[in-house]
Amino acid sequence: MLIEFICNGQPIEVDVPADMRALDLIRDELGLTGTKCGCSKGECGACTILVNGLPECSCLLLAPKLQGRKITTIEGLEGPGRKLHPIQEAFLEEGAVQCGFCTPGMILSTKALLDRCPSPTVAEIEEGLSGNICRCTGYTKIVKAVQSAALKLNGTNL
Amino acid sequence: MKNKNLKQVGRSVLKVDGRELVTGKAKFCSDFQFSDLLHGYACRSNIAAGIIKKIETTVAENIPGVVAVILPEDILGNNIIGILPPFDQPLLADREIRYAGESYCLVIATSQKAAKAGARAIKATIEPLSPILTIDEALAEGARKIHPSGNITASKNLIKGNVEKAFSEADVIIEDTFETSNQEHAYMETETVCAIPTGDGRVTVHASCQSPFHIRGHIAANLNVPAAQVKVIQAYTGGSFGGKDDAATEIGSLAAIAALKLDHPVVIANEREESITGSSLRHASRINYRVAAKKDGTIIGKEIDILLDGGAYAAESPFVVMKALIHSAGPYKIDHVKVKSTAIYTNKTYCGAFRGFGVPQVTFACESIMDELANKLKMDPLEIRKKNALKPGDPNATSQIFQKSVGIVETIDKVAEVSDAYDLPTEDQDRYLYGTGFASMYQGISNGAEGIDVVGASVQIMQDGSALVSIGLTELGQGSRTVFAQIAAEVLGLSMDKVMVKHVDTDSVHDSGPTVASRSTTVGGMAVYKAAGEVKNSLLKMAAIMFKTEEENIVLKDNFAQLIFDDKAKIPLNEVCVAAYWTGFPLMNLSFSKAPESKYDQDTTQGNIYIAYNYGTHMMSVRIDKLTGEVKVLKHLAVHDAGKVVNPKAFEGQIEGASLTGFGLAHLEKIQYKNGVILNPNLADYAVPTIKDRIPSETISVETYNPTGPYGVKGIGEPPVSGAAASFANAVAKATGIRFKKLPITRQVILEAINRNK
Repeated sequence: MLIEFICNGQPIEVDVPADMRALDLIRDELGLTGTKCGCSKGECGACTILVNGLPECSCLLLAPKLQGRKITTIEGLEGPGRKLHPIQEAFLEEGAVQCGFCTPGMILSTKALLDRCPSPTVAEIEEGLSGNICRCTGYTKIVKAVQSAALKLNGTNL
Repeated sequence: MKNKNLKQVGRSVLKVDGRELVTGKAKFCSDFQFSDLLHGYACRSNIAAGIIKKIETTVAENIPGVVAVILPEDILGNNIIGILPPFDQPLLADREIRYAGESYCLVIATSQKAAKAGARAIKATIEPLSPILTIDEALAEGARKIHPSGNITASKNLIKGNVEKAFSEADVIIEDTFETSNQEHAYMETETVCAIPTGDGRVTVHASCQSPFHIRGHIAANLNVPAAQVKVIQAYTGGSFGGKDDAATEIGSLAAIAALKLDHPVVIANEREESITGSSLRHASRINYRVAAKKDGTIIGKEIDILLDGGAYAAESPFVVMKALIHSAGPYKIDHVKVKSTAIYTNKTYCGAFRGFGVPQVTFACESIMDELANKLKMDPLEIRKKNALKPGDPNATSQIFQKSVGIVETIDKVAEVSDAYDLPTEDQDRYLYGTGFASMYQGISNGAEGIDVVGASVQIMQDGSALVSIGLTELGQGSRTVFAQIAAEVLGLSMDKVMVKHVDTDSVHDSGPTVASRSTTVGGMAVYKAAGEVKNSLLKMAAIMFKTEEENIVLKDNFAQLIFDDKAKIPLNEVCVAAYWTGFPLMNLSFSKAPESKYDQDTTQGNIYIAYNYGTHMMSVRIDKLTGEVKVLKHLAVHDAGKVVNPKAFEGQIEGASLTGFGLAHLEKIQYKNGVILNPNLADYAVPTIKDRIPSETISVETYNPTGPYGVKGIGEPPVSGAAASFANAVAKATGIRFKKLPITRQVILEAINRNK
């Protein structure tokens, strides 16, 4: 079936099988391999994308459900001139990245959190990222990165 | 190797491969796209033990998209995986099934979905055998032999002094038995490989892996081709923690066989369930521990019997046996030690390397009993540890003596300092129990008893003054590429932006063995240090000619060659490189680092094993809810002597991550079996710690100078797992007054014990 949606600001029109997962559409058809598959069951959060600004596991979402929506993948975060998004910058600077496989999903969940809650408490950060598993970092530096990103973003908005 | 004026080593530089990871541009193995890519999916046994009678493939072959079924007879080589003797594991089971999850054929199709449908349609007739599921069943008299050699995989002894005499002279003897469960690695990226026939008779295998040279060897042996025909390139690897050492050899060999047979690129990406059931786990264990001590707390003897449940195949059990054996007495000076360490076959998923490699299990036993001894003698837990702790010049359990870099006392002192200043909360004691636990540990750095420890690295400097490092050890997230870049930059006086570190490509670098044993920074770092040093010599020679002076008057610093006595007299390094090239000085070097060999008696395991040890002491304070059993970690302090710390932020990250894995082992994670089948092979039912489970780890480094590592470094990747797990157990014991002897000590276990004790 033919669907239309906006991906990282670009209009997309694509013919997809009705049972295709959004994850496979994004990775295999659109070539956006920054979205990762960790479990295919919505348990790890590695495949998180933003759908109309809200984090969703793209492994549990059928591609036709993207019809008429705006989605953001990790590839949509970098600014012009390869400028890192402040959240990406914060993850890098705080050492919140080790193997990096959970990172795209973690960063997108962070974006969704900071978009709706610009100065989150630690409890709010934990809630916002509770669907994203990281086996490497122990999360300490991820929490710091979210706090640092919040400061950066709030600074930009002033 | 003087540590004065270091510019890059000791600094929290950004992770050199961080940018591609935060932008999603890093290509992991599943990210390669080829128009003619085929997918492999293994057909796995759903019973734990049986004899394969017949495999029917016709229905599977007729499923749309399925192009081939690979059976054991399609393997032209030895049909063996497993990196150690006794080499008992088939690539595809051809006669007997020894665990639920074992592969017996592989379906190749145009999509993973079709391949999986094909695998589901394979009709296998497997005559069930009664599975052997516990250590006791395996060791029972007359038990069925899982392998022709029997049910004992490997067994080793450590004998120091006269332990019988020590026990006869003891004032106090304490004995207890401890158990630990299997633990799953749960790296976020499952095992994945992609094999590409390159048309010249060779095959290139991109792999999410830990030890590319192991894979190369196994692929060649299973294809029955010379190893020179196989090229393995490590892709970005989404975590490994030991687990992708064995598993990648299995799927790497299968993908290569299929790729060459079908002349197509073939990818195999394990699904999460396969990753849990079909690749290695941490050994479950049962450890009987006896301690003999004097009234003043001096430990005079230990007698330890370690049984490791290694599952269906040897995998890395023989080495885990050794590591558990050597570390079981702990970081203490004890004159009389007798240990037996044995791995047992059972019909369960095979066990292999997992961060800590046998040390977390024995440390839990060692440190639990240490606290019991302190209780009995009414001594402070840190005081008794310090009293027995190794000092420089003391022989450890294998009688190895280190004159330098033995920082265990410093770690205990530092923990004591923090602990003294910390007030454990006392609020609402009707509802909550509070307690603080401690644990000391050590972990050998280098392959040690596991054999030769060599690493090859090359460094080349270009005419523009930028450098490329190539090394045979893998980046798995731990930050080794960054560490190697820092060392090369330090030697060559370069800024970090001038240094690149390649992914491992087996074509271009010396076989460096596996990336294991917390050895990358120490042994690998030394190889980079030496290679960069040779390149530096060329540049110094050239600069000396340009300055018309002697080499010793020149330093390389901040991308310049400059005179020691006049830092305004300097030549940009790129100009020196251009001149060196045109003068004919070599600008590339392949160096080789070989750790001092271990020399020990095979019967008693007495001698020199490792090139250094990491020492650590952890403190953990918990609050336990009496009504629910819920545990909140209020404080966790991890103090380690890891020698000179190359990158403080990465060092913290290693400790924080390893500690949470240790906490998971101690509190949350348990593989559940029924009739040998894993009941919870997913991330919902198997409780990998989430951000809500994180513990508030603080890290402190007490730096000692290790003479066997460049700039005095040691490793840090594995050790904190043990410290966190053992200190958790002691904290819970302190809070509840109940000694828990089996990991994980879950909320439910705690609640039941509290209720029983009411």
